[in-house]
Amino acid sequence: MISSKKSFSSVLHDDLASRWYIPAEVESLRSLYPIVVIINFVSLVIFILRDDPDLIFSSTMQIVVSLVIVLLLSKLNQGQRFIRDGVIAISGLSLLLSVLQFLSGPQIIIDYWIMGWSSIPALFVIYSVSKPIVTLWASGNQTTRSAELGLYRNRSVTRFHGKIFRHIALLHAVAFVILPILWILDVALSPGNSLGGGFFDSVTMEHFNQILSSESFWIWTRNSVIVSIGTTILGLALAIPAGYAFSRFKFRGRDYAMFSFLLVQMFPGVIILVPYFLVMKALGLLNTSVGLILAYSVTALPLCVWMLKGFFDTVPKELEEAALVDGCNQNQVFWRIILPLSLPAVAVTALFSFLAAWNEFLLALTFNTSEEMYTLPVGLASLISSTGQAWGDFAAASLLVSLPVVVLFVIFQRFLIEGLSAGGVKG
Amino acid sequence: MKRGLIVILSFILLLPIYHASEISTLEADGDIGYRQVGLIWSTDSPTEEGTIFEIWISNETIIETANATKHSQVMVGNVSGISQPVMGEWYDDCQYNFGDTEWIPVHRDLDGTAVVPPGTIGVNCTLTGIPSGTEIHLAVLLVNPSNESILSPSISSSSTSSDEEIIVIETSPYIFAIGSIALSIMILLFMLRWMDYREGRTTSRFAHIYIAPAILALSVLTFYPVLYGIWLSFTNADQSHLGDQSFIGIENFITVISTSGFFRVTGFTLLWSVVNVAAHIGFGLLLAMALNSDDLRGRSAYRTALLLPWAIPSYISVLVWRGLYEPAGALNDFLGTDLNLLADPNGARIVVILVNIWLGIPFMMMSISGALQALPKDMYEAAEVDGINKFSRFFYLTLPNLKSALVPLSLLGFIWTFNMFNVIYLMTDGGPNLDFDGPGSTDILITYVYDVAFRDGSYGVAAAWSVVIFLMLVVFSWTYMKKTNATEAVT
Repeated sequence: MISSKKSFSSVLHDDLASRWYIPAEVESLRSLYPIVVIINFVSLVIFILRDDPDLIFSSTMQIVVSLVIVLLLSKLNQGQRFIRDGVIAISGLSLLLSVLQFLSGPQIIIDYWIMGWSSIPALFVIYSVSKPIVTLWASGNQTTRSAELGLYRNRSVTRFHGKIFRHIALLHAVAFVILPILWILDVALSPGNSLGGGFFDSVTMEHFNQILSSESFWIWTRNSVIVSIGTTILGLALAIPAGYAFSRFKFRGRDYAMFSFLLVQMFPGVIILVPYFLVMKALGLLNTSVGLILAYSVTALPLCVWMLKGFFDTVPKELEEAALVDGCNQNQVFWRIILPLSLPAVAVTALFSFLAAWNEFLLALTFNTSEEMYTLPVGLASLISSTGQAWGDFAAASLLVSLPVVVLFVIFQRFLIEGLSAGGVKG
Repeated sequence: MKRGLIVILSFILLLPIYHASEISTLEADGDIGYRQVGLIWSTDSPTEEGTIFEIWISNETIIETANATKHSQVMVGNVSGISQPVMGEWYDDCQYNFGDTEWIPVHRDLDGTAVVPPGTIGVNCTLTGIPSGTEIHLAVLLVNPSNESILSPSISSSSTSSDEEIIVIETSPYIFAIGSIALSIMILLFMLRWMDYREGRTTSRFAHIYIAPAILALSVLTFYPVLYGIWLSFTNADQSHLGDQSFIGIENFITVISTSGFFRVTGFTLLWSVVNVAAHIGFGLLLAMALNSDDLRGRSAYRTALLLPWAIPSYISVLVWRGLYEPAGALNDFLGTDLNLLADPNGARIVVILVNIWLGIPFMMMSISGALQALPKDMYEAAEVDGINKFSRFFYLTLPNLKSALVPLSLLGFIWTFNMFNVIYLMTDGGPNLDFDGPGSTDILITYVYDVAFRDGSYGVAAAWSVVIFLMLVVFSWTYMKKTNATEAVT
């Protein structure tokens, strides 16, 4: 009775180790190869757009081959050595195809990318599937001990592969983000208004000189600076007391007032645009900085109030109570204690409303239609319009305009994002 | 022999008749309307079929066409079977005559080019898009059927109607409305404060004063325009009825619903929003998970690089992408293709969606990143010990736990994308196929409202569109919240 129990447990033990064990390499390939198929599809689309019959043929073959590899990998299991051999053979075929594709001559950068995606995974398959540990597993000759060792080894291999996958995914995302930026740098630095051509083959500062010496650029900058600083000051003047009151006081109507701030955030800007325009027109505030300042500071107000309320909440109440006991009145507490303590938070809110006003396009386009009242967004957009295609000047100007903003954003990203999620998502 | 002589003789006789027409008079009139200049010219002889009049415009005297811009053109050709729209239906509208004083509207071929019949002597065009107050120079280039071109002398003119609207709006009702709103808010706050004071709440003595500026600004500059906009949607306000608009019931809403392409533009707006939000959340989640590892080398560098689309002003990114997609742009160089996606309706739709996806991922990535970091680590460790593979971990642990963050995020993203004006306006401006009356092929609701309000000047109809959009968003948000809450209650 006892012995039979023992043998049962040992059977279970063997069964578990070998049943659970799949080499991490095979697991990784199983999740990698569907992505390879997708990328081959993308390259097929590119080749079809390029109308290159040879490449279309070879890329179609690549898709078929990688689909076969996906199929074989899913069938690959213990004791199926012939499938393992099949995987290696087919990957060799895929490699051969990509070498042939390469020999036919890559023309541009993207060809190298496509070739990389058709050859490196195949190499990776051949390398990892022919490893001794995978061979042993696939041939079905592994012992319990080696399966256990393999399970142990899997942890580190999985982590290593995960890291590589992360890097590959992130590098692709970064390339997708960076390429337009590199391109605009190239346009800004190349002579004339050419949009294409090689990267950085001829460098000139003519567009920067032209923009910096053009009168309208400085007028737009002046307007933008006036509007943004005005918005920041007015917005803070409105938002700081309100945020403080919401954070500290209990008073009649508080809940209704806070709800009205939330409600405004849910209004889409579009419902306000037309009446806003008409009211501004009636008050004679079109084509003035004051109109935009009023509009922007109120648009940003709810978010600023919520951000500041969140910051004021973190200032300990005891400080105020102590000051009140010491004989300060409420106003002194606010000006002498709370405001200096929350200066960093106020700075972040100020930066937020400055950036919002600096980047706003729709209201500026609608309200300020005369050229000498354009802000930078509308002015820059007017460089690229149906009448003018001054791409070089636009590129230089946009680099000049966005560089300070991007630097500020990157430096203060943590605070800005925290503040935005406090105001945006909670609200 | 005799026949040859007749042929030669008739040639000699006919030669003067076949002499190519030239422009004999050219006049410009700057006093015909807002941003418009009228141009009237006549030829010394009836024009032949195949002649083209090109109108060139410049800041300086036109000596050759190299220093000028072509404004529009009128072709002389066969007009039978070509539509002849009434005056005012087209921009840059023209009329023609046969040397008398009877002006006939021009015909328009399928591309919208103005066509006049052979024998035309005089042409009278209304050129639009001329900035007021600046002097411009105009010339007409006459291109013969034999491709010889003769440039007329250059004349100068300027559009005299001022940029300011001709109609002066009565300011007092607005001042009165704003003043009474401000006054009533002040009285309300004062009453609340007095009630608090009577109850003896000492800490709140200043509370109402502190919130007064913000509440006042909000009511005057947000709630008042919203209510005003709702009222506008029931009036006949437009560029010529401003200040004396009158109540016309739901006529504007009927106009909105019966706009040709109402369902098309609504459908595309929905498609645009859903695809964008899905892509933002999908890619944002993917990148947030890729970044969510403590021992990832270069993590902060990746994060900063991936934040760039959010940090760069969106109008700049959009214009840069537009340059990339131009036929001569870098995309074709990069892919080795020869595409002009922006000229094709479906291509342009794909392009605008791709650009907006690029713009919106970082926000979602950062928001989801924050939510991911809040998830308990030991949950994943327990799952790993239990041998749960990573797909199951994602679907049974990560997603359900992120749901409370993803539901409001996706709703917020939906509302933002629904109202994303910059991308469409700057990439395609609703094009490539712009109908004269109705939304273009890449227009979404908000860009179309902009067109209705500020290109057509139909403020009442635009306000009705805004109300319709707002109602759509309210209905959508309500249903979405309801549905997601309902499933939460079940599970």
